[in-house]
Amino acid sequence: MSIAEERIERLHGLARKAAAEGEYERSREYVRLARRIAERNRCGLPRSFQRSTCDTCDVYLRPGRNARVRVHRGRVIVRCDCGETKRYPFD
Amino acid sequence: MALTPETLTRHELNGLHVEVVDAPNPDLVGIAGRVVVETMQTLHVDVSDTSDGETRVCQVPKQGSTLQFEIPSRDETPAQRTDEAADVEKASGTASKLRSETAGGLEASQSGRLAEEPSAASRMSSGNCEGVAYVTVDGARLLSRPALRTEKAGDTTWR
Repeated sequence: MSIAEERIERLHGLARKAAAEGEYERSREYVRLARRIAERNRCGLPRSFQRSTCDTCDVYLRPGRNARVRVHRGRVIVRCDCGETKRYPFD
Repeated sequence: MALTPETLTRHELNGLHVEVVDAPNPDLVGIAGRVVVETMQTLHVDVSDTSDGETRVCQVPKQGSTLQFEIPSRDETPAQRTDEAADVEKASGTASKLRSETAGGLEASQSGRLAEEPSAASRMSSGNCEGVAYVTVDGARLLSRPALRTEKAGDTTWR
């Protein structure tokens, strides 16, 4: 595992913790930094990271707190408080 | 590539416990806490006390300051490895002091060992059962955009 992937892993945990403590701006910082590292090192982001962050406002999503989750027509639909909707099929 | 004293300058600093050992501004010396935000020139250290709920974040410039990071050590952390540094930077003065301390501590049934880098010295403090390694880094070595540090502060074979 390269340093970049490890940094993303660590930032994932930090963003989750910051969002749990209500520090949404700080969680955005961590998510943006992780995205930038993935971009620079061309290593991509883990799927769990992609699905638990908002693409528009970069906040770490906590269902029930700042995201609404519903299931419809074979898809999971996650709506962030900023209005962004993320859809992905469930297995 | 785990987080070791050798890879610290290229690894994630957010979330690590840090103490400011030396700084141009004497008021910053002694600040200890968790790194919460890293910018190109500074680190934001969370020094809020856990007893009262109020949060307090100090902004410490990297340039000119000496920082001591606390790395949670694992079993495969290279405790046996000793890279001897060329005696150039001021941090290596700290290193030789630490080495004499650990040399004295070995007789006192402490298993402190040393891993050095140019201008970065570390000490394993497994003797007092903390399970952490303390790494002292010259802050000038961290001067880079946080996302680029992984690529730019490379470990060249010519060092």
